[in-house]
Amino acid sequence: MGDSVEGRGSTLRVAGEKFSAEVLSGLRGEPRVEFRGTISSSNPAEVLNPFVEAVHAQLVARRASEISVDFLDLEFCNSSGFKSFVFWLEQIRRLPEAQRYRLRFISSAGRRWQRVSLLALTSFGGENVTIETLSTSRPACPVRPWPAGGAQS
Amino acid sequence: MAETSTTPVPARLSMRMRPPWPFIDDVRRFVETLGACTCGGEDRDAQVAMAVHELMQNALAHAAGDDVELDLEIDPGRDRIEITVTNPCSDEAYEQLGARVERMNREPDALAWYLRCMEELPGRSRGGLGLARLRFEAQLEVTLRRGRTGRVAVCAAGKVRAPPLEVGGFNG
Repeated sequence: MGDSVEGRGSTLRVAGEKFSAEVLSGLRGEPRVEFRGTISSSNPAEVLNPFVEAVHAQLVARRASEISVDFLDLEFCNSSGFKSFVFWLEQIRRLPEAQRYRLRFISSAGRRWQRVSLLALTSFGGENVTIETLSTSRPACPVRPWPAGGAQS
Repeated sequence: MAETSTTPVPARLSMRMRPPWPFIDDVRRFVETLGACTCGGEDRDAQVAMAVHELMQNALAHAAGDDVELDLEIDPGRDRIEITVTNPCSDEAYEQLGARVERMNREPDALAWYLRCMEELPGRSRGGLGLARLRFEAQLEVTLRRGRTGRVAVCAAGKVRAPPLEVGGFNG
């Protein structure tokens, strides 16, 4: 199948049949996970959930307050794939309040399914979810593998 | 000089596939293009494409390699979208699906039902969100009927000009 989760050094990435995701670091060292491609296989959670668990563990260990979840290059996500984001929010809910962090979804205005799909996820995740919609494609900012050293805040 | 008619023309698509899984993304993209030509503005084409994808994905899970049929009609004149996906289905699976759809339709608030499914379905379980998703996100009502011998037709229908969704200060 070719689906896999791997830790390349301390970087986390996952690759499914038609999608991939990788945790990167923004300009100020903030964590960011970029999803690319199309999540449309019958059971993407098989490979996505272990990735989510690994990212969650790192964020908790580094006391992150937020991670950007970048959907700019995610063409589509079926409901089976969406369950992995529900699963992620469940992991956050199980944490003591002081350890919880936010999922900041970055959606593309041009990928119009994202707007309504993320509305529902916002309703489910409450204050643990925020949405930013960009009208352009991916912002031109350099990214590095994450963690890039030092606790996130 | 000939007059140009402005009467909206219905778009119809019928497909029979075996097995359609490798092509499900292509079908979704095609439906979105078709919808863009017939649904007008807003995001209706993307919502219809998503609904077709979810219905086909459900059908595939029960088709056991047999044919899956898709019938789609978008009629701006009647302000009506109808999607029907037909697949083989055992009596037991039909009863289970019928009970699920009945429970879903008893809840008048589509978002409330969708959120309940998110709460109740274990994150590690397979499937279960598709019908709730298309009912809320695409604003389509879901019904079932027993088709030809051993087949089930799942129908999703609603308005072409659906109102924008609003949830807790956000809008879609």
